[in-house]
Amino acid sequence: MKTEPPTRRRPVGPSQGRLALYFLAPALLALVLLRLLPALMALISSLRHHSLTDGVTRFVGLANYADLWADPQFWQSTRVTLLFSLVINPLQVLLALGLAVLFNRRFAGARFWRSLVFAPIAVPPAVSAVIWGILYRPEGPLNAFLGALGIPAQPFLTSPEQALYALIVLMSWVGVGYWMTFLIAGLQDIPQEVYDAAGMDGANAWQRFVHITLPLLRRPLSFVLVAATVSNFLVFAPVQLLTGGGPDGSTNLMMHDVFRRAYSVGDIHYAQAEVVVLVAVTLAVVAVQYRLMQGKGEE
Amino acid sequence: MAIETHRSPRRRISPARHAPLIAAVVIGLLFTLPLLWVLAGSLRPGDQVLAGLETLSWRSVVPTDATLDNYLTLFQGDFGRAVLNSVVVAAVTVCVGLLLSATAAFGLAVFDFRGRGAVFAVILLSFMIPFDAIAIPLASTFRAWDLQNTYAGLILPGIGNGLAIFLLRQFFLAVPRELVEAARLDGLGWWGIFRRIYLPLSRPALIAAGLTLFTFQWQSYMWPLLIGTEPAKQLGPIALGTLQGQMVVDYGQVFAAAVVLTVIPLVVLLRLQRYFTQSIAGSGLK
Repeated sequence: MKTEPPTRRRPVGPSQGRLALYFLAPALLALVLLRLLPALMALISSLRHHSLTDGVTRFVGLANYADLWADPQFWQSTRVTLLFSLVINPLQVLLALGLAVLFNRRFAGARFWRSLVFAPIAVPPAVSAVIWGILYRPEGPLNAFLGALGIPAQPFLTSPEQALYALIVLMSWVGVGYWMTFLIAGLQDIPQEVYDAAGMDGANAWQRFVHITLPLLRRPLSFVLVAATVSNFLVFAPVQLLTGGGPDGSTNLMMHDVFRRAYSVGDIHYAQAEVVVLVAVTLAVVAVQYRLMQGKGEE
Repeated sequence: MAIETHRSPRRRISPARHAPLIAAVVIGLLFTLPLLWVLAGSLRPGDQVLAGLETLSWRSVVPTDATLDNYLTLFQGDFGRAVLNSVVVAAVTVCVGLLLSATAAFGLAVFDFRGRGAVFAVILLSFMIPFDAIAIPLASTFRAWDLQNTYAGLILPGIGNGLAIFLLRQFFLAVPRELVEAARLDGLGWWGIFRRIYLPLSRPALIAAGLTLFTFQWQSYMWPLLIGTEPAKQLGPIALGTLQGQMVVDYGQVFAAAVVLTVIPLVVLLRLQRYFTQSIAGSGLK
């Protein structure tokens, strides 16, 4: 059973595989039980149906998926999630990029002002939802501020037209600072010499940004875009706490739709089918990320 | 690692030079304003939190009649226990999670064995599957195992963290092989090598991984909503949700709760910001 490592020589000891197993077993057990198994369970459960007429749970193949496919509410939720993604991801990435470039410059107190943008990262999702829920209240401070500018009060979370965008602002308050830190790390990896050389060649600030910063920031940027897409795909706390998916389903993001199906509607097998769809889409996005990263060579 | 570069001290002074500073100040304040407002509100008597908004002024963010009443009332209710629960859950998660992640990372980084690729794939896959998405199936299992409304039920999902393992493995790979071989010759066992060589050398990576584990628990909302609903086992965010969902909302208390739940991770994050940045630079880009 012993295989000789082809390249490196190692000191002889008790089987490396057995030793590795001792060290790896607890974590592997946790990961398999708490991450992989539930995904598998969702998959199996999504192929079953609990009949209310005879109380028997039986295998139904892809029937739940077929139902999902034919369910207008699923498509409504998909449309909301898609619109949300198409607005929030470019918005967060562009703002994060702009702020990263700004805060990467050297000026008085740059680190301090940067940490102010960074601060909302510490706010847990449930807390940011509650804070903004109050900010958005009809008699709340945002409307007071608009009133001071002579702008009529806005309905924010109570309007089907505005609620989704109100959530986008709320999520970006935390998200932008978070993604910014990745991009600042990327910016700091660009050697100053490159800029100095370009400066000597007479490139102006905009040219330096387009021809040096953007290409050299390609990897962190693509990472941030994908990571933001995945995390915004799973937004749940503000929907559950503030809008419950409404008004008129305008904020019925998919994660909330799954939750609603599992607990309010109570059809767990049907909800599991949607979980599987959700995980599959996420994994697909991550797979794209992995390909993008590999394109540039590893390590 | 990016070290502050000290170059070009003789920049041309132009009027545009202060533009970044002004922009940074304005943006920094905009981002902190909601937090300052919440902090100010938490120090006001409960009925005055939303009062007086028709005349916005500096008084909106600076309470002139500051009082700690909201905090006192808050901690006399269920919220104190909820925060304590959150702290306990996060602390246990960090300790147990670090032990699990570090041993696993050591196993991956140091030993050559068949199936290492497969193990690594399991770890990668486990952190690509978003936890919230599988929280609902996992919650059904936990209910079947009678783990709802227990600390174990709240803590367990946090301890298996593929990202923490990945971070530590990257760091362990950089530990020179010669150290291990010298220690082996001196008769040190593998557990000794792990404890006496790898752990002490890996402080920054351990802090970064610990931060990952802590943040996962402190930020979680869906899981405690699914598994910890009984008042004695509620975590901070769930208790906050209950406070703000009541028929008559005491905003002073809601604000005080929001401050407590934010200040704890904020202090941790700001103190360890350096490691946090390193960890994300290492995890995302390399």
